[in-house]
Amino acid sequence: MATQSFKTYFGRNSRQGLWYVPLLITVVGAVILTVYTDDFASPQNLSNLLSQAMPLIIVAIGQMIVIVIGGMDLSVGAIISLTTALLALDAPAFVLVPAVFAITALIGLVNGYSIVKLNVHPIIATLSVQFIVVGFARILRPVAGGSVPDIVVSCVAGTVFGIPLTVFWAVIVLLLGWKLIHGSRYGLHLFAIGGGVSSGQEDAAHNFGISDQRNVILAYVCSALFAALAGFYIAGRISSGDPGVGETFALDSVTAVAIGGTQLSGGIGSLHGTLFGAILMVLLSNGMNLANLSAFLQGAIKGAILLLVVSLQSRKKMGL
Amino acid sequence: MRSLLKKLVVGTLLAMTAASAPVLAADVWLMDGVEPRPEGNATVEAGKFKKDGPWVIAMSHFGVNANTWTVQTAHEAQGIADGDDRIGKFIMLDANFDQAKQVADIEDLLAQNPDALIVMPVTSTSADAGIQKAIDAGIPVVVHTGRVENQNFTVDIQGGAENFGKVMGDFLVEQLDGEGKIWVLRGLPSHPEDINRYNGLMQALEGTSIEITQEDHGSWVYDLGKKLCETFYLNDPNVDGIWSSGADMTRACVDVLKQFGADIPPITGEGNNGFFGQWIKEGYPSIVAEYSPSQAAAGVRAAVALLEGKELHKHYIYEPAGWNIEKAKKYYRDDLTANVWWPTELPEDKLQELYGKK
Repeated sequence: MATQSFKTYFGRNSRQGLWYVPLLITVVGAVILTVYTDDFASPQNLSNLLSQAMPLIIVAIGQMIVIVIGGMDLSVGAIISLTTALLALDAPAFVLVPAVFAITALIGLVNGYSIVKLNVHPIIATLSVQFIVVGFARILRPVAGGSVPDIVVSCVAGTVFGIPLTVFWAVIVLLLGWKLIHGSRYGLHLFAIGGGVSSGQEDAAHNFGISDQRNVILAYVCSALFAALAGFYIAGRISSGDPGVGETFALDSVTAVAIGGTQLSGGIGSLHGTLFGAILMVLLSNGMNLANLSAFLQGAIKGAILLLVVSLQSRKKMGL
Repeated sequence: MRSLLKKLVVGTLLAMTAASAPVLAADVWLMDGVEPRPEGNATVEAGKFKKDGPWVIAMSHFGVNANTWTVQTAHEAQGIADGDDRIGKFIMLDANFDQAKQVADIEDLLAQNPDALIVMPVTSTSADAGIQKAIDAGIPVVVHTGRVENQNFTVDIQGGAENFGKVMGDFLVEQLDGEGKIWVLRGLPSHPEDINRYNGLMQALEGTSIEITQEDHGSWVYDLGKKLCETFYLNDPNVDGIWSSGADMTRACVDVLKQFGADIPPITGEGNNGFFGQWIKEGYPSIVAEYSPSQAAAGVRAAVALLEGKELHKHYIYEPAGWNIEKAKKYYRDDLTANVWWPTELPEDKLQELYGKK
């Protein structure tokens, strides 16, 4: 039993993926940076690190939900941009915040419906929606600027009993993600749907009585809502709206999920792997900044390390 | 004797006072063409940020690798920093035109306790929070090559994008005698520099009968500029003038027109070696709007001046007049590649190392 449990979490063919690979590299990287740089372990920098990682962690959790079912959501970056643009409109927070989440849920619905009902490939569907959403964001706010309601900034930049609010964000978002992915029947259904997709038996989950279409649509709605949450966090950090601020998040979130051991073919992955994947990506940027590596070199080094981490996790068969 | 002694004492005191007097803001040279803003300017008092060296100077660059101009700005800043022994450490981070990354970059820079912070903002708000944190920590902030909404910075040097666009627009108005059809090749969509340059063009066109028949964003790069001009030409080849927001797009558009065997109408350019070579060879009507990458060197110079305790103005502007072909000929270097931007402060050995054809 113990052996089985160990294999479930750590085995090479675990359904949770090789989540400990990014964890190990993150720990080794953190130790090296602590030894070789002056400021890495300072409270200020560790706080910065968490704040910088938080939007990617949030959006990567949503991205993981759709990747587990064998999909992909390339509209998350545009949703982030739209969220900041909406929050910077001249209206009270009690109108803006619900509106943001209602609109983004609708975007997720459009993504899911296009994929499930119109049979459009997830990459094409979400890429098309991305263009539409970016267009709306640029109509709302052609240039970065404006200001978001004070309460949005307070929810992100404040402290409670001296503890940065980012810590509470981390706890809440991870608990929510954990419940959705590993602690609910819905999460189990996601893995079942993805497992079928990755093994070429797309109807497998459906044949076991799982409503795959509804669950897939819901997965894209979840992804959009997590992206909106990340957009909310970013809007609080930059205190303004920017129609281009989310541009890098679509690919960064896919990368973080892949580094975390989630298979892009679906059916395998874990929340903790995604968390470590996102942290590793931010740690790389932060570490190279502190190590004063040339701005010309940073991109190349980051790409090489990411390729190495993902290649360490290649696998040939489905998980346990 | 007593009178002579008195004169000597007074003279000595006066000389000492003069020697120890702070350098006035008007005396600080940042770069050729950079001047204090004539209206609504404040002064950063002498000695406010004075510190003994060696200094740590941090710089957040909006995007080093976007194009050849941005690459050169990074070299210009690094060059000035490397040549000053009092700068113990110069840290430059590349935001890669990502607003969220610039926020993170500035946090990472401030975590390293710099003595001064230089910011080239991605957008007008991307550096606001970082600037405030630096100012709150008593760190002087120099902003250049892009405006920010947070006006709490210490010094800013702005390249006058409206002036840039207007210099080009005025040239077309003059060449076309106030009427005709023009194409407009813009820079990066939503980038403040692009919008302000375009606003400058609009100011120049006001009250004229010049009509913009085709307009799109070429993002200041050659290949996109080429695609745009090909599309414009195939759509309607009748054009009397071309307003191009960047030299790489100008070169691309001239190449397209040559490819179609069309005459080259008046077209605007920039201080780029590749453009100069083409302009001098082809001789088409053009003008250069100056926008030197040495603004990045001026930013470092301003940071150094603040740490030296010199008095500076809060706002500096950089609004030079346009160049004609005779001036371009003085700068053009056949032994260097198309990627050099003029004027530059890079020394000859660095120019050869980075841009030498051999």
